[in-house]
Amino acid sequence: MRRYQTPAKRKTGYRLLPAALFLLLATAAGCSEEQSSPTPTLKWYIFDEPSGAFADAAADCSENSGGRYRIDLVPLPTDADQQREQLVRRLAARDSDIDIVGMDVIWTAEFAEAGWILPWPEKMAAEATSGRLDSAIASASYDDRLQAAPFTTNTQLLWYRTDRIDSVPTTWEELLKTAESLGDQGTVQVQGARYEGLTVFFNSLLSSAGGDILKNHEMVLDEDATREALAILQSIARSPAAPASLATSREDQSRLAFEAGDSTFMINYTFVWPSARENAPEIAENMGWARWPAVSEDRPSRVTIGGINLGVAAYSDHSDLAFAAASCLSSEANQRLAAHKGGLPPTITALYHDEEVQKTFPFADVLLETLKDGSQRPQTPLYNDVSMAISHTLHPLRAIEPQEDIDTLRREIERALHSEGLL
Amino acid sequence: MKPQLPRTDHLWWSAGSLLAVCYALTPIAWIVSLSLKHPGDLGDNRFWPQRITFEHYRAIFADAQFPAALMNSLGIALISTLLAVTIAMFAAYAVVRINFSGRRLFLALALAIAMFPPVSIIGPLFNMWRLVGLYDTWPGLILPYITLTLPLAIWTLAAFFREIPWDLDKAARVDGATAFQAFTKVIIPLVAPGVFSAAILVFIFAWNDFLFALSLTSTNDARTVPAAIAFFTGSSRFEQPTGSIAAAAVVVTIPLVIVVLIFQRRIVAGLTAGAVKG
Amino acid sequence: MKLSSLSQQKLGWLLCTPALVAMIAVTAYPIVYACYLSLFRYDLRFPDKRAFTGIDNYLSVLSSTVWWEALLNTVIITAVSVSMELLLGMGFALIMHRAIIGRRLVRSAVLVPYGIITVVAALIWKFAFLPDTGFVGNLTGIDIAWFSQRWSAFIIIILTEIWKTTPFMALLLLAGLTLVPENLLRAARVDGAGPWQRFTLITLPIMKQTIAVALLFRTLDAFRIFDTVFVQTRGAQNTESVSIVGYHALISRLNLGLGSAVSILIFLCVLFIAAAYIKGFDIAGALTGKEKP
Repeated sequence: MRRYQTPAKRKTGYRLLPAALFLLLATAAGCSEEQSSPTPTLKWYIFDEPSGAFADAAADCSENSGGRYRIDLVPLPTDADQQREQLVRRLAARDSDIDIVGMDVIWTAEFAEAGWILPWPEKMAAEATSGRLDSAIASASYDDRLQAAPFTTNTQLLWYRTDRIDSVPTTWEELLKTAESLGDQGTVQVQGARYEGLTVFFNSLLSSAGGDILKNHEMVLDEDATREALAILQSIARSPAAPASLATSREDQSRLAFEAGDSTFMINYTFVWPSARENAPEIAENMGWARWPAVSEDRPSRVTIGGINLGVAAYSDHSDLAFAAASCLSSEANQRLAAHKGGLPPTITALYHDEEVQKTFPFADVLLETLKDGSQRPQTPLYNDVSMAISHTLHPLRAIEPQEDIDTLRREIERALHSEGLL
Repeated sequence: MKPQLPRTDHLWWSAGSLLAVCYALTPIAWIVSLSLKHPGDLGDNRFWPQRITFEHYRAIFADAQFPAALMNSLGIALISTLLAVTIAMFAAYAVVRINFSGRRLFLALALAIAMFPPVSIIGPLFNMWRLVGLYDTWPGLILPYITLTLPLAIWTLAAFFREIPWDLDKAARVDGATAFQAFTKVIIPLVAPGVFSAAILVFIFAWNDFLFALSLTSTNDARTVPAAIAFFTGSSRFEQPTGSIAAAAVVVTIPLVIVVLIFQRRIVAGLTAGAVKG
Repeated sequence: MKLSSLSQQKLGWLLCTPALVAMIAVTAYPIVYACYLSLFRYDLRFPDKRAFTGIDNYLSVLSSTVWWEALLNTVIITAVSVSMELLLGMGFALIMHRAIIGRRLVRSAVLVPYGIITVVAALIWKFAFLPDTGFVGNLTGIDIAWFSQRWSAFIIIILTEIWKTTPFMALLLLAGLTLVPENLLRAARVDGAGPWQRFTLITLPIMKQTIAVALLFRTLDAFRIFDTVFVQTRGAQNTESVSIVGYHALISRLNLGLGSAVSILIFLCVLFIAAAYIKGFDIAGALTGKEKP
């Protein structure tokens, strides 16, 4: 009966293996259960910064708490949108597992309005804001109360090739002219993809022109300022100095392109500095920095700020301890750590005059000036909707028609503010 | 017994094979190349790396998260496959061979369940799992994987079972085999191709899934590799960890290749000369 | 099997029960909840402002150009990718079946793309085509910004999808190919039938049900495309798929009412497609033995 041969035995072997594996692993997992300790553990939900600065800060504060609490860092995904997704899902489900939340500045209004984070009590708020940058404090406040402790901040500078130009342009008009005169080598790297970064770009231009998107929850969009901002976006996009992949370009693409050598100017965050030193040292040698280009001669530029604030979750079992812990995590020592190890600019003004910080950020003075004038993105719980409305309307940059788009923007933002319909 | 083909046929099939292999492996080669490139060379417009580095591989294994994720992926995928295929086999057999009313309804229901957009299932499922304590556990992922792959498995197996000449086992019994022998030596080889095809599809679904894995896990206890990739970081906040992602993808493909190698023989082995007469 | 019809009934449902339980336990509540939510105005950020609004959400979605454009995009992507995958998949299935030299390599290699994590596949295809950093521009001399235009972005998205899921079709079709008896083919060859005739008159008819199931499931999956579009364009340049619209409403904007309505609408579309396939191929009939003559 040769025809009917089949290796039935081998098949059974395959089937047993995963079951055995499962049993083994299940037992192992069970055996590694920790004993519950008397010191309350506070869970800090934040993206795990690659250099380990956050983990160090957590360990530091745990030690110095005098046995009152222990901080455990629970990593979140790297992408900000995914972080928000995970946090919102759990906070909306009233998860008591979250104690301290590492929040992007744009979530403050949203989380506060939904009641997912607790406003800070007066005394602790005073401690958490003393000596901090005004713009950082503003980004962590909503409804006239402090909703989170400012931890780190971030903003963009103008980076350029010192070997290709003699004088640094101070306005966008000058910049484009200079770039165009350099021909093939004169590309200007900016972020034009359809994402949050585009809203940031628009917001910076609008603020630099003296306008606002929202004031007191009401849409403003000053006519002249908006037109100026849109005109600049249009001229960038239509300029021969614009990058070929402008419509899909984000911070990292801009960085890679600049490090490849064909660009002379780049608008980007401070992470490009250590990156160029490591990945493209020949370029880094000829890399200079300056303040973000202004919209007009008479008005200094105002750039959108980003950063991380530490909030206390509303459903935490140890909120009083969490406030203390968050305060410790955002204290000077830990901000110094975050700056030195992680390259994250601090929110304490005094640190910008510190020697060590200045070594990490040779551009510390320009950075401080920019941060002092920093501009906020619209502070509304519906920020995500508003941001989508803006980036969807303005993308792709080459299709911008200033007069038409002002009306479209107004319409779409109004709809977003009422959470109407699909965007 | 292999079919005797004329020489020219051989040539055609071999040329086709070459094309197929190139099609499949060129992008894979690109992933491998990306995983070996220096971070500084990522943007160099070239296919092959100028200088090779293993730092991405070192980096992903240095973090305890990745090996744990590998184990989770392996266990969860294997168990899901085992359970899903078994359950599907019973159902498919019943649908095809047993005349019970409501079969078509059952098939329709199985299909309908697979058609719902996963993004809206995630939220309520998250709440459910937290309630019953399945959040961040292996069963917490295995169950949805079984649910979502059962329809495909059932329909595939049913389509396959429909064409099997079941009466062959009667023929074997007439020839003198016992019921058990007839089943294992006649029926099983016949159904093997369909079963192993369904098994590969279920395995790959469980291996590959990102959406559920990210939302229904929160620690290394149950996080699988696709979800773990979301936690990879470049050297800074804004840098895309392209190298590490590529390295992780390469590492994760290896068990897959092994499973496929083992299974692929079974898929075509069922058709041995003489077992199926026209 | 000689069973009375009552025990047949019992046995049939008994064998189907584990499957039923597994499927319903996980999806029943979410699906019902989504239906329920779609009738409300419910924004997660304003949990107190929940209100019953009936079919307002549906009207809002159906009167929005965003939805209809996304639907068009989805149909285009689905139609093109599925048809190419069928052709390519059939070719690969035949090769995997017939290859002699290096058959192990071919059979394993062809299946590997399907096993690559979708997000990773989308990422590496995107990376390859980016003008500044990818190699395609360099290699082929075609120097356009693929993702900056609608149709070129579609091409890359569709290519990625095709590359990744043709193995799925190939696998199912291969299983179907094994059902075709060799003797039949040999006899036909002896009778003088050419390869094309053998294929269309013998192989295809026997494979009809397998092809139908493969097409059905592949279309259902293609219609709900998300990962590839999300990673490569995030819907920019008017390449949004319906699933991305749902994601934006449900997760980016936490508008659960609207998002649920979108999900239900996607479900209905998919239901419609499935019904069309099932009627067209009469799959259910074939599977349960009640084929129409």
